[in-house]
Amino acid sequence: MQMFRTTLIAAAALLVGQGGALAQMQHQHGSEAACDGPELRCASKVTAVFASDGTLWLAWMAGGKISVASSRDAGKSFSPPVAATPERLNLDWGPDARPKIAIDRKGRIALAFSIFKDKAFNGQVLFARSDDGGKSFAAARPITDSYESQRFEAIAFDNNGEVFAAWLDKRNRVPVQQAGSKYEGAALFFASSKDGGASYSDARMAIDNTCECCRLGLAFDPQNRPVVVFRNIFEGGVRDHAVITFADPATAGEPRRVSIDDWQIAACPHHGPSLAIAANGIYHVSWFTNGKARKGLFYASSRDGGKSFSAPSAIGDPKRSPSRPYLLAGPHGLVMAWKEFDGEKTTVKLMTSADDGQSWTEPRAIAETSDTSDHPLLVTDGRRTYLSWMTKVDGYRFIPIGDQS
Amino acid sequence: MRREFLAIALLLALLEPASAQASETELKPFGRGSWQELMKAHSGRPTIVHFWGVTCGPCKVELPQLGAFMKDHPGIDMVTISADFVPDLPAATRAMLERSGLAPAENWIFDGFADRLRFEIDPTWQGDIPRTLLITREGEMTTIEGSAEIADLEQWTVRQLAARK
Repeated sequence: MQMFRTTLIAAAALLVGQGGALAQMQHQHGSEAACDGPELRCASKVTAVFASDGTLWLAWMAGGKISVASSRDAGKSFSPPVAATPERLNLDWGPDARPKIAIDRKGRIALAFSIFKDKAFNGQVLFARSDDGGKSFAAARPITDSYESQRFEAIAFDNNGEVFAAWLDKRNRVPVQQAGSKYEGAALFFASSKDGGASYSDARMAIDNTCECCRLGLAFDPQNRPVVVFRNIFEGGVRDHAVITFADPATAGEPRRVSIDDWQIAACPHHGPSLAIAANGIYHVSWFTNGKARKGLFYASSRDGGKSFSAPSAIGDPKRSPSRPYLLAGPHGLVMAWKEFDGEKTTVKLMTSADDGQSWTEPRAIAETSDTSDHPLLVTDGRRTYLSWMTKVDGYRFIPIGDQS
Repeated sequence: MRREFLAIALLLALLEPASAQASETELKPFGRGSWQELMKAHSGRPTIVHFWGVTCGPCKVELPQLGAFMKDHPGIDMVTISADFVPDLPAATRAMLERSGLAPAENWIFDGFADRLRFEIDPTWQGDIPRTLLITREGEMTTIEGSAEIADLEQWTVRQLAARK
């Protein structure tokens, strides 16, 4: 009998073990990643940034971990990866989620990312930083004390070495619902760090009732003021874009509408905007909409600090669902990349403008893949501009896009 | 040793039906060609196809409403397709369908390159969810972007069922 009981326990253990393995397999089934490990080739999302010394840094999510590596030869070879999160986490895999990495002039590295903290897919924004040049990272901590859902963070160092962070936060949902009203979307919250990302100030709200499921665009204007572009919810449930120029890292300005697309939709578009601000102060914004006024990818600029925007111009081939725009104000002008899909292949298209977005070169294809891919990103070391693009079947691509760009 | 083996077999036999029961809701993998297959299978029948995902906030609100709607309108074929960008959570998908009363519906989950699957359904669809398609007996399709108003579904259903008479 004793023997029988032991066997039962062993068999039960076996079953539990199998269940775990099965869950892992199911997790991978149809996954956007090529493999389940923490290495770069298994990544679903990769974010790239150049440090001021010309070192390229990557932060990626793979195998439930955020890892970081650097390259001294513009992506040809990488240092051994460092796991910034040692344990396996339920990382936010939403289409517009990705780990964020920012580096100041002293080489301090700030990271931020989101996890799903419960079965209802409520999110939490965590941050971690390294002050030893990426050799190790402090344990990741929540960016705010609130336990309500937060996702879609953005971080960047300003010229003073202060980190500005913004994210979408659902903390206002509970009191509104308790009062018997319907709560729409989320709120744009922000905080800043004066110690290189080791700790953040108390969170403040910039605006309530924004769209809750799209990435933010963050940049600084020439006066070092943070500017955030986001999908807002305007009157009547219209999810069009707005921009807020902050007076300083602790003071939000008024939201200004980028465009009247009139996309009234009670849904998650999962498709956020991109923002670049050139040295001359011109704001450049690109976004996706499916509104009554226009459908597709669009670009507009503002020459008055985001108070008003140019008429939106359409981007890409409308027959090939142009998506995931990314703008960079590079050393040789403005660069825009986006994805197109022809039913079989995804192509990254690219065009450049030497006159602040008034005219653009013909779009050209710079990379393609035949399966799932991350959003295309553009980065510059101040001399050249590169495409950073993770693909499931072709691995990580880091491609110089030519000197004319 | 044989006794040990027998015990494992016995335990497996005891546990297997239980685990099968726990995930009773069938979730069909939606791959290349599934859309054509689905259209063919429901041809000539008024059908509602609902696209949703486990991480989509508005979907959580709408799904139970659709579950109740399906119960009240057995004359309409109800199809759900989990179209999240990362279709790797069949357990969460099943649980949400079951909680919403949609377990008896025809339930699918995206399996593979989501951009290509969406392109087969509607090349202009960029992946926003929820999304509902109302398909008449004649194959005429109406797309509702975002959460559907149940009153609109009711009106459409009345017209569909009246057209049969």
